[in-house]
Amino acid sequence: MNIYLQELRAYRRFTIIWTVSLVGLVLLYLSMYPAIGKDAESFIKVLEGYPKEVREALGMHLESITSLLGFYSFTFTMITLFGAIQAMIIGTGIVSKEVRERTADFLMTKPVSRTRIMTEKLLAAASTIVFTNVIFLTTASIMANTVKTTEFDGGVFFMMTVTLFFVQLMFLAMGVMLSVILPKMKSVLPISLGVVFGFFAIAAFGATSGDEPMRYLTPLKYFDTAYIMKNGQFETPFVVTGVLVVATAITISYFVYKKKNIHAV
Amino acid sequence: MNAIEIRNLTKYYGKSRGIIDVSFDVKQGEIFGFIGPNGAGKSTTIRILLALIYPTSGSATIFGKDSIKYAPEVMKDVGYLPSEVFYYDGMKVIDLLRYSASFYKKDCSKRIKELSEAMDLDLTKKIDDLSFGNKKKVGIVQGLLHEPKLIILDEPTSGLDPLMQQKFFELLEHENKKGATILLSSHVLSEVQRLCNRVAIIKEGKIIKLEAMNALNEENFKRFKIDVAADIPKNYFQFDGVNDLQVKGKTHSFLFKGNINEITQKLAGIKISNLWVDEPDLEEIFMHYYSKEE
Repeated sequence: MNIYLQELRAYRRFTIIWTVSLVGLVLLYLSMYPAIGKDAESFIKVLEGYPKEVREALGMHLESITSLLGFYSFTFTMITLFGAIQAMIIGTGIVSKEVRERTADFLMTKPVSRTRIMTEKLLAAASTIVFTNVIFLTTASIMANTVKTTEFDGGVFFMMTVTLFFVQLMFLAMGVMLSVILPKMKSVLPISLGVVFGFFAIAAFGATSGDEPMRYLTPLKYFDTAYIMKNGQFETPFVVTGVLVVATAITISYFVYKKKNIHAV
Repeated sequence: MNAIEIRNLTKYYGKSRGIIDVSFDVKQGEIFGFIGPNGAGKSTTIRILLALIYPTSGSATIFGKDSIKYAPEVMKDVGYLPSEVFYYDGMKVIDLLRYSASFYKKDCSKRIKELSEAMDLDLTKKIDDLSFGNKKKVGIVQGLLHEPKLIILDEPTSGLDPLMQQKFFELLEHENKKGATILLSSHVLSEVQRLCNRVAIIKEGKIIKLEAMNALNEENFKRFKIDVAADIPKNYFQFDGVNDLQVKGKTHSFLFKGNINEITQKLAGIKISNLWVDEPDLEEIFMHYYSKEE
């Protein structure tokens, strides 16, 4: 597990910064809730001023946004967006950096199979995501309980929060797959941002046009927090699709990585 | 069993040739030199041996095992010293060496200490802060710390000062005496000359010569330089066996292989003011092989 530990060490600062940022974001949002909860009617009037399309795109559901869970659900549009960026950056980076930073000649001439390299790196990346989500869940729960005005369903809260983890897993897997398929990745950031914002645009477009099948094209929308709030469960077809996305991306990654030619710098 | 057996190894990068039909063996315990100009295919051959790239056709074995199929197993006994070394950001030398050692199922701490002392390497420094030469030393220690039975070096001494080069050669010779096989790819002919038992010359993807070092040295070439007293025709010394004839003013110089009496007879026919005869170094023999193929 030496590669695993090395990668954890290498991504320590990155993970802490992103975790703190996501936590900061949710705490900021939740801290605004008491003001909204107190003066629900005027808040709704302000939101009515936004065009319907914008509200759909941002996940603002007027009938529920003044409840804690409803408000929390609204914040998740932004949170999953940032979470996806974090996962995509580490996904596209963790394998391809050996080539970019030219350490491939070191690591890949060690007595270790490429399969094992890929496995340990995937586990390391997944571990950072787990860490982020555990911290996020803990702090969000504490904050939610602090700012609540009425009791809320803890189970639903948990389910909504865990959607962050699922979205991040999908983007992590897709990121790794992209990084092994593309012949050369000079910089991880442009492609990560591009892909995530691309999916966000599809999601926004899909939300405004009400086109359900379009949701399958954008992993950001596989887990709809509004639906979870209403029904207390995930949507099975999307869960299955999500699992398929992760499984396919990872399988392709293993295959391509094993056969890839690693050229000299 | 040979340390390395390469059979008809061919690699095309799309349509452009990497190497074509390369075959040679490296015997256990020998120091084998692999020389050629830039782009000849040295790195391609070595990278295939190390399973970093895959051949279009042909095969290679290391200690009897297919070097691609059994790469993780085979690499236990191989130490690779690349020409340019890059390591992870923020790591100290000792961290990198320990990380490297963690891949081999043995305790390398004593070896790390011995090697870094021999190469005068400060273990506590951050790799980012080291000079090129010192980074190279990290590469050397990293490649040798697990006592590999086969050492593969790519341009080993570029970046090292002459004193360090000497120490490094001594280190390699010491490892070789302990039984390690060495494959060394280089353009620095003096290091090839100093260390190698046998040499393969590669040009434009093909092996053009495979020879024992002393046979190459004994190719019976002599370098002649003659200062003539009075001008003679520029092609006076141009005949079979003479290579690289150069005439500058009254000085005629060339390489000659053949019956030396032909030269003495030519010399007897003219008046000369000065004469130098010596054995060419490998560089000149080497250049001869290149120009011959033109």
